[in-house]
Amino acid sequence: MIRRNGFTDETLEWRSWLEPLQIAAASPLQLEVLDESHPQSRTSPYYLTLAHQPLMLRHRSAAYNAIMYAPGGLPRAERELGAMVVSVTNGCVYCTSVHAQRFEQLARRSDTVEQVFADPASAGTSERERAIVRFAIALTLRPAELGADDIAPLRAVGMIDEEIIDLLHAVAIFGWANRLMQNLGEPEGVDG
Amino acid sequence: MGRRAAAFARVANVTRATFDRLPPPSDRTIAMPSDDSADVIDRAAGLAPGDPLHSARRFRAKVVEATEASHEALLRQPVEGLSTADRLRVALHACTIAGARTLARHYEGQLAETSGADAPSSPALPAMLQFAAALTTDPRRGDRAAIDALRRAGLDDAAIVALAQLVAFLSYQLRVVAGLQAMRASRAGVAP
Repeated sequence: MIRRNGFTDETLEWRSWLEPLQIAAASPLQLEVLDESHPQSRTSPYYLTLAHQPLMLRHRSAAYNAIMYAPGGLPRAERELGAMVVSVTNGCVYCTSVHAQRFEQLARRSDTVEQVFADPASAGTSERERAIVRFAIALTLRPAELGADDIAPLRAVGMIDEEIIDLLHAVAIFGWANRLMQNLGEPEGVDG
Repeated sequence: MGRRAAAFARVANVTRATFDRLPPPSDRTIAMPSDDSADVIDRAAGLAPGDPLHSARRFRAKVVEATEASHEALLRQPVEGLSTADRLRVALHACTIAGARTLARHYEGQLAETSGADAPSSPALPAMLQFAAALTTDPRRGDRAAIDALRRAGLDDAAIVALAQLVAFLSYQLRVVAGLQAMRASRAGVAP
């Protein structure tokens, strides 16, 4: 278990500031979209809140699942690293806890998580991890200034176009996910 | 059919259907990703069919498809209390303050082509723009008070979900475009 700077890799709950959909009142389309979004979505306040707009949720989930789970390309642990770094940079405690856990499960180690919680800017246990972490921070904080100099370190550690696109998708979709988590509700189970 | 007429026909088509009667995305008229078409992201990033990066994006055809379908659903799908014109105004505002110039031009063009562009905007628009600006520039600024302000402006929970999804999506979309633009600049620096 890692706790540092307000972040944790423990399992947290999330409470909606809106009224989540009551499952008994769900339309057939809402049920269908919930089921294709996440295995536990029928009991998740987050998915039940987003289910107020089922078609928007459907396409968001299709993008999210393809970005984070599709085989090939960038190794999944590295996509999770990108997701975790963006979540820490955006201050999303809930998303950070989920994706720190996923990284630990896929990479079978937690040293990088400790470093990211302590100081994202210097985190990374290898040149490749450091390149991924720095790119995730740059695209999160200054998208309008991003340039060739931000891509060069990724190419220098051997990443090809398809892998770089996987990384930028993972970073970008957490710009989306964090904003929903942080603006429609708040994490529970955090004690300072 | 001209572009403007096509845009009207598309809006009219979607408006006739209720959410539940809309067929799944695969049956709809959303452009499927292919090697000879350019979507909103391609155009904003300056990628033409045949470019190596245009092809590399299609390695994740599901992401390309779901991103374009999200754009369509978030901007064009009918939402009670949230006109397409006002959503395009929100998109233009968010992209402008984020410095996403090519996307801002895209939304400006879409707004000019939209049937409701001349109609007065909703009295809730100032609150919507304020929410969009805060969420776009710093996701940590999200709090319950911002949701309450939208409710006081007349938005119900389903409309708030639609607005939050739209603004969060824009943060994703503008980062995908920024990443691809940087990759393009990086490729320009190496021998073709």
